[in-house]
Amino acid sequence: MLCASTTRQVASSAGRNVFKVTRRRLATEAPAAPKKPRIVRRIFFATTALTGSFYVGSAFLAFNNPEYYDFFTQNVPLGQTVLEYGEENNWDTVTVHSVIDYTVRTTTSLKDFVMEKVNGAPTAVKEAKEAAEKAAHDAKDVAMKTIESSKERAKDVAAQVKTEVQKEEDKLTGKAAAIAKHQREQLLDGVGDLVRKAEEALASNPVSSPNPPNNPPGVPSEIDASILTPKAETKDVYEAPLPVGFEPPPGFSRPPPAKKETPPPKYAELPLVAPAVSALASSEPVISHLAGTIDNLASFLKTNPEAASRVTDVLDLAKEDLSSLAQRIESVKEEERRGLEQKLDEQTREYTIKLLEIEMESQDRLDNQEEEFRKLFDLRQSQLVQSYRQKLEEELKTQTELINERLKNEVIAQGIELQRRWIREVKMRVEEERGGRLAKIDELSAHLKRIERVALDNSAYLDENIRVHALWSAIRALSSSALSSPVRKPFREELRVARHIAAAREDPVVVTALESLEASEVPDVGVEPFADLASWYTTSVAPKVSNVALVPDRDAGLLSHLASHLLSSFRFKRHGFVEGNDVLSVLSRAEYYLNEKDLDSAARELNQLNGTAKVMLHDWLEAARRRLEVEQALEVVHTQATLASLLVI
Amino acid sequence: MSSTKPVSSEDILGQKYDRCLADFVVKAGVGFSAGVVASVIFFRRRTWPIALSTGFGAGAAYADCDRSFNPARVPGTRIIPAPVSEAK
Repeated sequence: MLCASTTRQVASSAGRNVFKVTRRRLATEAPAAPKKPRIVRRIFFATTALTGSFYVGSAFLAFNNPEYYDFFTQNVPLGQTVLEYGEENNWDTVTVHSVIDYTVRTTTSLKDFVMEKVNGAPTAVKEAKEAAEKAAHDAKDVAMKTIESSKERAKDVAAQVKTEVQKEEDKLTGKAAAIAKHQREQLLDGVGDLVRKAEEALASNPVSSPNPPNNPPGVPSEIDASILTPKAETKDVYEAPLPVGFEPPPGFSRPPPAKKETPPPKYAELPLVAPAVSALASSEPVISHLAGTIDNLASFLKTNPEAASRVTDVLDLAKEDLSSLAQRIESVKEEERRGLEQKLDEQTREYTIKLLEIEMESQDRLDNQEEEFRKLFDLRQSQLVQSYRQKLEEELKTQTELINERLKNEVIAQGIELQRRWIREVKMRVEEERGGRLAKIDELSAHLKRIERVALDNSAYLDENIRVHALWSAIRALSSSALSSPVRKPFREELRVARHIAAAREDPVVVTALESLEASEVPDVGVEPFADLASWYTTSVAPKVSNVALVPDRDAGLLSHLASHLLSSFRFKRHGFVEGNDVLSVLSRAEYYLNEKDLDSAARELNQLNGTAKVMLHDWLEAARRRLEVEQALEVVHTQATLASLLVI
Repeated sequence: MSSTKPVSSEDILGQKYDRCLADFVVKAGVGFSAGVVASVIFFRRRTWPIALSTGFGAGAAYADCDRSFNPARVPGTRIIPAPVSEAK
């Protein structure tokens, strides 16, 4: 804002000042008038330059510094528009190099522009020059190419001829003359071909060269000369004097007819022939004369084009000249041919002689060289042989040493290998043997184990058998002493033995049964035999109990006892298996069971009684129970022993 | 003999009978003799003191015998059937 305002103020003030100044100048012709505008102008320029540089510089700075970009867009008037303009013109991507390039380019373009303005139109001239130069250059190139190709061909032919000639001369010196003649003819033919080719090239060249007709006349003439001279040189290689007279006629004789036919439509396209041929005029006067006539014709045609009919006498003159020219050319040709033939013969002779001499010299030289070479070769050979022999010997020595060492190493390695193999084989054998032995031993051990097992089983069986047998015998002894003995006697010893045997057999059932038996006092006392028990019951117990059969269970006094004693003697005796709960029937049933040898049932029956009868039966029941206990225990042991014996076998 | 060797259960009753008889004889004899002495000395040879004292002796013997057969019977006591089994 400040800057803008200041600039505006400055501008306005400047404008005002100018106005004032002019007014003042108009009003008062002050002497200090010229000084003020300068100051104002200076201030104005300075401010504009400053503001411009400020805006442009700040725009660039803003593109590089984003903070300044914000500041510039927000706080400076017209800053946004300046930046937009800069973005449109890609200021943000401008670098120092590009700026420098651009300035250089602009300065050069400016310079060119100024120069153009100053010099008028030199560019058109330049362009024309360049085009002309280009055309001339192209024509030159074409001519040079054709010349070079013709040169090369001529050289090739010449080389071929030379080599052939040399060969022929080397090999056949005697027949050199005849062959030389033949070769001359061939050469002549080749020369003729060359001449024809040159003519063709010349014929094609005039067609191409006349195309730029407006060009300065020096250019085509130069080309023609350049075309002509190399051919002269090429012909010089074969026949020196010929070219000058030989070439021009075809070059000049052919174009004129074309020119004579063409003149009517194109008047301006007739070059002056005389100056071009002036160089040859000294040697060939006819040609210069002909050229003059042609030029005259051409000039005449130029002056009045409609007088074509009047040209006929001039043309006739030209025809005569031409025919004379042709005759002269023919005669010249003949002369030249003859001279050439003579020269060729002489040259062949000279060359054959020279060749012979050279051959002899070369042969001598070759012989000398051969001898020298042979000597050298022998010397070198001997030297080489010696050196190689030495080398060979050394090599042989080293090789033999090497081979010996290698052989030694190989022998040692082989020895080691053999030893290793042998050891391995021995190991293998031993392993096999051991394997076989081990297998046999395994088999044997297996057999032995089987036998051992069988033996062990057998021994176990035997032991078991023995144990069972011992158990059986002990049980038998026990039962015989305890139950089936005719008298009551203690059987603790037998019981101990039986128990020990059972404990050895680890039979828990037998052991428990025998232990329960052993814990009681029964084995010390012994067991009443069944017969004793039965007789005891029948003789003493049963009648005495039957006497108290009528005694009541409770409150039985002396009188009740006496009454039962008296009354029981009057009762009928019952016998056998009798039903009833009274004492007498129970007694009879017990007697019956005892007769049946069923002590258990008898004891059960008698155990049902109460009161006085029970008291009186106490001792007998006790004895019977003892016997029954022993019987039961022995039965258990008996069954267990039976089971064991069954298990064993 | 009976003291040394235990009597078998079926002979207990006979033993009781034997003891009762012996006891009766002794007590009745003691009563008779005591009655004779008393009748001679105090009752001028009258017979009834003799019979009375013999009767006392016999009664005492009977009571003892009855008690030996049924030890649960105590004079002055009466056992009711249900708790009898418990007392026994």
